[in-house]
Amino acid sequence: MKLAVISCIHGNYEALKAVLSDIEAQKADQIYCLGDLVGYGPYPNEVVNQIRSLEIPTCQGCWDEDIVEGLNACECSYPSQLAEHRGKLAHEWTNKEIRPDVREYLATLPLSLKRDNLCFVHGSPNSQHEYLLPSMDGFAALERVLSTDADVLFCGHTHVPYVRELADAKLSVTVKSPARSDAPQQFQATLKRIINAGSVGEPRHGRPNATYVLYDTDTAQVTLREVAYNYTKTCLAILEKGLPSIFAWRLARGMEFAERADDPTHVCER
Amino acid sequence: MNWAILSGIEGNLTAYEAVLQDIQDQAVTDLYILGDVVGLQGDNEAIIQRLQSPRAGELEPQVCVGWWEEQCFSLYGVSGLQDAPELMAKVGGDGVKTFWKSISRESVRWLRSQHFGFHEQDCLLIHGSTVSYADELTPDTPAIELCDRLIRADANHLFCGRSGLTFECSVTPVALRSTVTTLDGVQAPQDCGKTPRQVIGVGSVGRSPGQATYTLFSPENGQLAFRSVNYGQP
Amino acid sequence: MQSFDLTLVAGPPGVGKTTWISQFLANPSRPLFYLCPCAQDAVDFARIGYCFPWVSIISDDQAADVLADLPDQAQVFIELGFHMDLGSPLLVALPGRRIAIVPPSLDSSEWHNWADEVIPSPNQQVSGELASASGKLPTIWRSPLTGQVFDPPSLDEVLIELTGGAYGQVTRLKGIFELPDGQAFYVDFVEGLPGIEYTELKLPRWLEGRPDRFSGLEIVGHNLEQKTIAQALLTCCLADDVLLQYQRQYQQLQLEDETVAAETEPGVVA
Repeated sequence: MKLAVISCIHGNYEALKAVLSDIEAQKADQIYCLGDLVGYGPYPNEVVNQIRSLEIPTCQGCWDEDIVEGLNACECSYPSQLAEHRGKLAHEWTNKEIRPDVREYLATLPLSLKRDNLCFVHGSPNSQHEYLLPSMDGFAALERVLSTDADVLFCGHTHVPYVRELADAKLSVTVKSPARSDAPQQFQATLKRIINAGSVGEPRHGRPNATYVLYDTDTAQVTLREVAYNYTKTCLAILEKGLPSIFAWRLARGMEFAERADDPTHVCER
Repeated sequence: MNWAILSGIEGNLTAYEAVLQDIQDQAVTDLYILGDVVGLQGDNEAIIQRLQSPRAGELEPQVCVGWWEEQCFSLYGVSGLQDAPELMAKVGGDGVKTFWKSISRESVRWLRSQHFGFHEQDCLLIHGSTVSYADELTPDTPAIELCDRLIRADANHLFCGRSGLTFECSVTPVALRSTVTTLDGVQAPQDCGKTPRQVIGVGSVGRSPGQATYTLFSPENGQLAFRSVNYGQP
Repeated sequence: MQSFDLTLVAGPPGVGKTTWISQFLANPSRPLFYLCPCAQDAVDFARIGYCFPWVSIISDDQAADVLADLPDQAQVFIELGFHMDLGSPLLVALPGRRIAIVPPSLDSSEWHNWADEVIPSPNQQVSGELASASGKLPTIWRSPLTGQVFDPPSLDEVLIELTGGAYGQVTRLKGIFELPDGQAFYVDFVEGLPGIEYTELKLPRWLEGRPDRFSGLEIVGHNLEQKTIAQALLTCCLADDVLLQYQRQYQQLQLEDETVAAETEPGVVA
């Protein structure tokens, strides 16, 4: 069976349409969505409508959560004062724009989805806000996959697609305590994978094209897809709808609307 | 330098006094208390006052917040979830009431001003882990989880107090083949650290009546010792 | 009669006029004077003052008096911005050596006609083309920022956007910015040259309130959206309470560093 996994659409309806037709052309059997349907982009209602009408199983992203719960992302999750300011502008705009039924729908989204040996989350199994970057320590990455009891973990949130194989993991643990002194224990794990679906509506790989992934459940083959679309339409809509014009400039350069946090493992102390 | 690292006083002033007595003979230079200074059984106001005003010649304790402090903040609505559901589940309605009455608002304010944890040299000292104050690490925690907590702590020694146990788990990442493929193709492989790192349970001063445990650590040479102090009726 | 040297330096933006002059200012063995007509409060003034405190910087209104009464052996450098009319009677009347720094690709220009000596710019990629495609001369936008302290990641981002053309075409940018650790940086960008250059200015760390020394930004370019630039810059500036918090932290760190330094100093043996 061929799965298409999409993520981080961020109200970019043009990009979603292009990706959906590419998925059709690729003859995928089932689509999964990893959240962040809204935020930054000009068409949050239209994007949610489309996802709902196609009955695409979707988990909740951090932006979806914020629109439901009110802005509760801690300030330290923004990499800079400038990004925080822009994030708040985008949040306020989206909050005014979305319809009540859309808000209700976003509230019903689960944090994770499972299908056989596959698990789907927005950020990481821990949190919608955690970034699983490709540079993350391999053992920490492995822990995220193991915590889900799956072999393949699909995530988004970083807006740059990648596949990561974690093979032949070995750990050794020696326990010493007043009560016991054990011989070293060996821990081993079989092959696990993290597949990041990239971003449909807010790419940050340096080109404006939308990205998503295809996964074949029979062969375990992964294909990273990059889809060109008419991003100038989205840019114009950003300007017309009164969103900050810098969003259009960044979108056209594949720079994302706000840069991502430098320290993905940062812990909020609030 | 010689650190004394304590946790889990839980309002047990007698136990804390016994440990302070024991510390006096250990040439300790720094005194760390990794949370849970208050609890359900002891005299919370008395222990807070004792921590606030060390006597002449005593070390100034450096305190971070623990599970019980977080429950307190939740009850008083200063952070976290409202009405301390975790506490309710653990001690029930009467327990919550007793706990609520045992701490004044001023004390809550003082507890709130204490640290989240301490990053000193290559050590992190914290109540649970950087994941959460409630994260309970024990010798039976899966190896990959211990490894993950050490990575997140960005430290070679992770001192924690949630379990109340004294233990040292040495974790060595032996091997891992990680391959990342992006739109630009296969990326250069990542180096995976091979050096062992330690998760250390520092014990509990006040949780078990009659016996207090705590930890001594010398950051220069990595020497670690667990102390057990019996107090009260022989 | 007293003797002095007077050097006039001209050329298009980004060729390295100030840099060329700086090589002579580094040697304080003779009385040095620097004058840049019509550039009050400009970044170059401040940079020369910060880097070469022994140089006398002459303002426009003092110019006549100072030039009339120069000390023996004085060396005077007059930097002429691209906006200056080289044929103005005042300039023509000045005695001295006329240096033009021009892009190597430029064969003839008003600078060539004016100069006694033409020096090819080391910045190969600088075009020397002043006018834009539409034939309009570039505008200079100056913004004094004295007292403002920047959130470092926000400043990075806004400079990337500015020099990338998000707020109009920027051909040249130079600025002095204060950061919360008390350091000031000189920032330099020339269109066509790779990257943005950051140079730490050797100034005492300012950790007590808002810095009371010049900082500011100067941009040369076309179609600059001045209001949006000003807004974006202000969004990157730290509020009083945030600045205070940073300064407390850095004061503490400085104190600890000093303590460590004092402890590691070898003891005096009597």
